[in-house]
Amino acid sequence: MSVSEPKGAAFQASADLRRGGGISRETTNAIIVFGLSILLILGSRFVSPALGSWSQVLTVLMLASFLIVLSFGQGLVILVGGLDLSIPAVITLGGVLATGWAGGGGDWYVLPAILAICGLVGAFNGFGVTVLKIPPFIMTMATSIILASAALGYTSGTPRGASPAAMTALMKTTWVGIPVVVYFVLLFVLAGWLLQSRTVFGRKLYAIGANDQAARVAGVAIGPVTTQAYVVSAICAGFVGMMLVGYANGATLRMGDNYLLPSIAAVVIGGSSILGGRGSFIGTVGGAVLLTTLGTVIAAIGLEQGWRTVIEGGIIVAALFFMREEFFARLRRPKRS
Amino acid sequence: MVRDGQAALAVRAVSKSYGATVALEGVDLVLQPGEVHALLGENGAGKSTLVKILSGVVRPDGGAMTLAGSAFQPRTILDSRSHGVATAFQELSLLPNLTVAENLMMPRMPRGRTGLASASAARLAASEILRRYDLARIDADETVSALSLADRQRLEIVRAMEHATRVLVLDEPTAALSEVEWLFGLIRQITARGVAVLYISHRLAEVRALCSRATVLRNGRSIATVDLAGASDADIFEMMVGRAVRNEKAPRPLRDSAAPASLAVAGLAGGQLKEVSFTLRQGEVLAVAALEGQGQRDLFRILAGLARPAAGSIHIDGKPTVLRNPQGALKAGRGIAYVPEERKTEGILSSLTAAGNITLPVAGRISRGGLVWSGLEAKAAASVAGSVDLAARYLSFPIADLSGGNQQKALLARTLLTGAQTLLLFDPTRGVDVGTKQSIYAAIRRFADAGGSVLFYSSELPEVTDLADRCMVLYGGRIFAEFHGEDLEEQRLVGALVGHAAVPKGMPRKAGLETGS
Amino acid sequence: MSASAVQPLERNGGGRKSNWVRALTSGAAIVTLLYVVLYALYALWEPRALSSYTFTNLINNAAPLAIAAAGETLVVLSRGFDLSVAGVVSLTNVFMAVWPMEGPGGALISLLGCCAIGAVVGTVNGWLVAVLRLQTIAATLGTMIVCQGLALVILDAPGGMVADWVSYELTGTLFGVVPIAGLIIAAVALLWLVFLRTNTGIGIYAVGADEQAAMLSGVSVTRVRFAAFVGAGMLYGVAGFMLSAQTATGNPNAGAPFLMLVFAAVALGGTSLSGGRGGLIGSIVGAGCLMLLQKVLFSGGVSSFYTGIFQGFVLILAILFGRFMPRLFNAGAKK
Repeated sequence: MSVSEPKGAAFQASADLRRGGGISRETTNAIIVFGLSILLILGSRFVSPALGSWSQVLTVLMLASFLIVLSFGQGLVILVGGLDLSIPAVITLGGVLATGWAGGGGDWYVLPAILAICGLVGAFNGFGVTVLKIPPFIMTMATSIILASAALGYTSGTPRGASPAAMTALMKTTWVGIPVVVYFVLLFVLAGWLLQSRTVFGRKLYAIGANDQAARVAGVAIGPVTTQAYVVSAICAGFVGMMLVGYANGATLRMGDNYLLPSIAAVVIGGSSILGGRGSFIGTVGGAVLLTTLGTVIAAIGLEQGWRTVIEGGIIVAALFFMREEFFARLRRPKRS
Repeated sequence: MVRDGQAALAVRAVSKSYGATVALEGVDLVLQPGEVHALLGENGAGKSTLVKILSGVVRPDGGAMTLAGSAFQPRTILDSRSHGVATAFQELSLLPNLTVAENLMMPRMPRGRTGLASASAARLAASEILRRYDLARIDADETVSALSLADRQRLEIVRAMEHATRVLVLDEPTAALSEVEWLFGLIRQITARGVAVLYISHRLAEVRALCSRATVLRNGRSIATVDLAGASDADIFEMMVGRAVRNEKAPRPLRDSAAPASLAVAGLAGGQLKEVSFTLRQGEVLAVAALEGQGQRDLFRILAGLARPAAGSIHIDGKPTVLRNPQGALKAGRGIAYVPEERKTEGILSSLTAAGNITLPVAGRISRGGLVWSGLEAKAAASVAGSVDLAARYLSFPIADLSGGNQQKALLARTLLTGAQTLLLFDPTRGVDVGTKQSIYAAIRRFADAGGSVLFYSSELPEVTDLADRCMVLYGGRIFAEFHGEDLEEQRLVGALVGHAAVPKGMPRKAGLETGS
Repeated sequence: MSASAVQPLERNGGGRKSNWVRALTSGAAIVTLLYVVLYALYALWEPRALSSYTFTNLINNAAPLAIAAAGETLVVLSRGFDLSVAGVVSLTNVFMAVWPMEGPGGALISLLGCCAIGAVVGTVNGWLVAVLRLQTIAATLGTMIVCQGLALVILDAPGGMVADWVSYELTGTLFGVVPIAGLIIAAVALLWLVFLRTNTGIGIYAVGADEQAAMLSGVSVTRVRFAAFVGAGMLYGVAGFMLSAQTATGNPNAGAPFLMLVFAAVALGGTSLSGGRGGLIGSIVGAGCLMLLQKVLFSGGVSSFYTGIFQGFVLILAILFGRFMPRLFNAGAKK
């Protein structure tokens, strides 16, 4: 064996330690976040007997579905070291077009066509970021401003029309006592996890986020792959726009506004690095569920909106605090006397 | 043994751990006033941790340090500086967006009459400093990012010297310098004033020219302090590595000069590369030797598909080819794969495992039904790990946790796994230890013996003469000379490197011209 | 860091730029040029544009965004993002509307109160980022949401009245020509020029370019980051104060529109979002451009629905232009 062994051995100690726990940082994170959500639901039973029930779990899952779908896309963009601020505008776009073109019914191809349009918006973002080399923060913000303005002009201020039949069916019907959207979101989580963690595409996203120069040298097509992440994000946002339309039976121009920050927060709470290259979709799902649970529990307790917001912000900071590398290192490190 | 009280700096039993990783364990080091003392050791032996401790960047867990007899426990870099201990760091601590003057004054600017920092006062003070160090040609108002790498290194050295009234630490100070007389002269001046210098370098010839004593670190321990005059290179290597070094030159079978060309370039230009034409044949190991900045970087980046040539043609396996990007290079002909110069910034993907790093370019091959399977990944990585001497158990580790040498092996394994028949290796053994070097050489030879072609650049001439079948010397962006067979010998290369056609006897290894000046 | 990657290919081509070329191609110069062009267009379409009344209005409109963008610049220069700007503006606006204090003395106390609120939030941010080493976007996202919440707790719906003295005097003019808001912006710019000539001011550029190198050069990274966040927070407080003077009422969501516009102004002003390059004055003019653009489009007959489309494209073009200009000059110098 080579003489680099001694050095390797010194480092091996830390590597073995990391593996010693048998679970990765990401997994630990996801377990903590899901655990907190469950504790919160169970705990809320003590506050009010109406809470902590099966039906509340279903409500949480249904409400979390929007955030789960959104933060999947946001998570992919964050994974490649970007950030998608155009999400609210794309949600609105999806919602406005769905009510405008397919309100009440609609041909089978209209909804996919709308998603394709949203995908084009994502491609525009990707083009700006990878070809024009505009910082993602600015590029997606510009897209957001442009799109919001276009939606305003298109609707002249008031979106008309009702929900397409398919979206109403997705959001309003139940099957075996469980809302159809819950089945949908479970399938989505499975598919999303596979896409991010187990496909070649996902592997390339991690590589780009970890070190884009090195990924390029290794033969990863940085531009196209990064652009695809933005496209997926925009399609997710557009679909959430449709889901919201199905849920509320109509679109508004501000329907996406309240989803940008939670979409980032869910990813961050789920343990991803905002700088890219690290994270898992399961953790993000946990973050989305935790945020939604928190929202419903606080609302049920009857706290006013302000305090609810304060607590949400506090949770984000606390989550960040506990997810620092050092904190994890401490958890892993065996206690020495 | 010398008493610590007389010593400029005495380090006793210093230790430092990062979590479970022990970086230093019982290091002893004594510097006499006016002495240039070498610190030797492989990468990862603990040199940089010791430098950080002396500079006040990191605090030791145990042990004691004394400075001219009194206790020395620096808590910050300024604290250390105020005690007269200053460091020129290997990774250069200059701010590229600030001016030369601001960098020299950092972190406290001279104040003008208003009590505010004054640019003109800073300029005056900086110009005065530059003049004293023979660098008056550098404009104090210039932004550091506009300086050449060599000038930045000089600036780093000057800044440390300004503050070093007792101890000066120079960590690889000549990495970017192609001539060392300027530095050696300054070191002589400063030691004449009684300042002790701790000199860290991989270049043993320099160490022998400057230092009389050396302390050798291995695995975070100080193994010995030796008189360099009484120690042979082999002795020193043995202390650094912990065993004798194999030094035989592997006999090479003669290459078939009629073998088909895998890579042929004609009139290639771009960046600093002016006009380069050559042919690389199957089974051949072709070296590029050059001083810093003669166009070698542009040559490799163009051939790897990372940069576009301004002129010239590239034939791969006989076909004219345009290389648009690295994935295009991988697919061109029988494939071109590149091991980059900067392992950290262009090589490894630190959050992925070693296996993930190795299989990245061939990710399609480890997936079935659209999904990546870890079994296939492990199998693919293991299939090449052996050929670069990388222990299989490292494959599942995050690559950031491996030593620099093992990371480099993983990168080489990656290029082998792509199946590319032409390898471009830019300084493939930079900053790796002796053992890893041998493993890498062996892997390169095996690859060539099996019919692959290798084009490599190296900053170390012995590596060129040992490994290459043929060597091209780049000078001023052109091929200045070519050596093969018996002619491929260090003394001859040295002359060509600096642009001398005739080779004078006994010329120093690195001398003469420098980039851009 | 890769030293070789940043090594200039041609020492004499890229390096030696004369000072005036540097100044002309700086972000601040380009954005000022943009402002002048926009103003000329405005004057062309709207003859009243050159009146002192219109100008004062423009300045009043732009002042809150300009000052908030100035604050954000401090954090961006040190390589960070501060989202708490939206929270602090909301919080201070609510503070002004719920506890109005009359007269110049009251206004001064209100201003100090606003600064104090911003300073507290900035200190928390500084602690989270500089001491606990949290990622800036994520940490300030948290503090922003907390501040938004607090604003809602204090005032759960738009309402309240800002003190008359503040809303009248601060939107007026001095000697009938000089807008008071303009004086306050000038004061901020002046403070910046002073700050630039302090060790901490230079330290911000150092930390933004390369934190590790700054630390090894003896800069206290913790102190610099703290200073950037606290300074930024105080400026957001002033921005909230100016916004209140302009709107004369309270709105717990008043800061929300600032979140994106502030970054647009900073980027437009030529400050690199990856830190270490740019300046505060560019951001102020950038904010002015964004507000002026709305007026120009309106006077040019563009429906207000579509101003966003123009704003978005101007933002993209400004960034491309700002990158293109220095290259153009360099290429010229090499020939």
